[in-house]
Amino acid sequence: MAREIHVISPKDNTGTVISRNMAKGRVVEIELDGAIQSIEILKDIPYGHKIAVRPIRKGDAIWKYGLGIGTALTDIQVGDHVHIHNIESNRGRGDLYQVATAKEAL
Amino acid sequence: MSDRFWGYIRPNGSVGIRNTILILSGTIYANSTAERVAATISGAVAITHPLGRCQVRPDLRMTFKTLVGMGKNPNVGGVVVIDHFREEGCTAEDIAAEIAKTGKPVEVVNIRRAGGAIEATAEATRKALYIKRELSKQKRELVSVSNLLFGLNCGTSDTSSGIGSNVALGVCSDKIIAQGGRSVLAEVMELMGAEEYIRQRSVSPEIGEKIVGYIEHLERRALASGEDIRGSQPTGDNILGGLSTIEEKSLGAYMKSGSAPIINGLEYAEECTQKDPGVYVMYTPGHGSESITGIAAAGAQILVFSTGGGHTISHPIMPTIKITGNSESFALMKDTMELDLSGIFRDELTIEQAGELIYEEVLETCSGKLTKSEILHEQTGFAIHRVGVSI
Repeated sequence: MAREIHVISPKDNTGTVISRNMAKGRVVEIELDGAIQSIEILKDIPYGHKIAVRPIRKGDAIWKYGLGIGTALTDIQVGDHVHIHNIESNRGRGDLYQVATAKEAL
Repeated sequence: MSDRFWGYIRPNGSVGIRNTILILSGTIYANSTAERVAATISGAVAITHPLGRCQVRPDLRMTFKTLVGMGKNPNVGGVVVIDHFREEGCTAEDIAAEIAKTGKPVEVVNIRRAGGAIEATAEATRKALYIKRELSKQKRELVSVSNLLFGLNCGTSDTSSGIGSNVALGVCSDKIIAQGGRSVLAEVMELMGAEEYIRQRSVSPEIGEKIVGYIEHLERRALASGEDIRGSQPTGDNILGGLSTIEEKSLGAYMKSGSAPIINGLEYAEECTQKDPGVYVMYTPGHGSESITGIAAAGAQILVFSTGGGHTISHPIMPTIKITGNSESFALMKDTMELDLSGIFRDELTIEQAGELIYEEVLETCSGKLTKSEILHEQTGFAIHRVGVSI
């Protein structure tokens, strides 16, 4: 059977949805830590978006590729959609930059 | 013991995977003559471009350095440089003199001195004829993978890129470096958000800062022209596609560099003279052809281009293997794509197996197997990065 959630690294707490049928209420099997686990899907999640595969607490790092891609803004349950509504970037933000300052710097 | 491939050993000891005769246009006004010559000479490749005249000094130097890099690339066996007049700082003579330092045959033809475009075509064709005949005698020899400078690039990315083909490409890069080879990662704009990991992987704090400096510099240049890249990343399309943060997007691109140490940074089109095995990061923009041309100028013999959406990009002198993790894209763009790695998502291929497939394709191509784009004369991958206005 085709895989529906792709987890890159064992360290990751998110997986990428590679199915177009990730509908709320379904139970999907994924392989995690060498064992098959069942995850109940808590929301409809579009193809290409992230799903929590481990419990995440507010303030935890979000892991994908085995690397940190942001921080949780809320607690996130396994099976929930992980996106801009519940995580934020740890890196630079555009609103901290100003075009005028950059011109001076050149 | 390292794996080996069949390559052409150059007078300076570098190893090419092709034995191309290059017809190099020094300025835009020599383009048509260069194309006529290349069309006549079997196996010749013309490199033409819109530059070399009326450029601000930093741009003219970049054009010069890039054209010299094309001639010096180990895949090139001999060169005819053509120009139409004299552009101080970028004359055909200056370009040829730099290329000749490699010991390979280089000739110069000047259209005005030859007596016009037709005479120049005849003169350059005859010079190319004799170079080609000499080159045709050279045989391939078995050499170590450690001779490879391996180019990494991605473009027209989709969901499958960051989680599939880029990760597999990183495995291939690590395998080449483990045998003494080197890789070039570029597209520094797409490393914005990966700064901390770059610092951690660099061999020293100074090298880490040098490369992070590239990212900041390119970002400031974009800001100065009114484009707030950081503030607009990830783009609306990216967010719809499922990318939530700038580091998530950048790290997806960064994955293609594997896990080997970052040895040094390279300016755009700078020759990679340092021999330490590992990853070198070149200051190039996200523009695919400008980026892979910078990598070819560094001396890379081969490049793997990871593309979720499929692509036609192919550099005229550096065979460009295209891979995708999206089976639909492969089907739609099959005429210019080499590897469909979508089995990663169907439990048919592990990432390691996919990396191994890329590696095997790289080695076969190094020994002479042609890419589809080479067979089709697809030469869409040459462009020179610019920093200023035309004057």
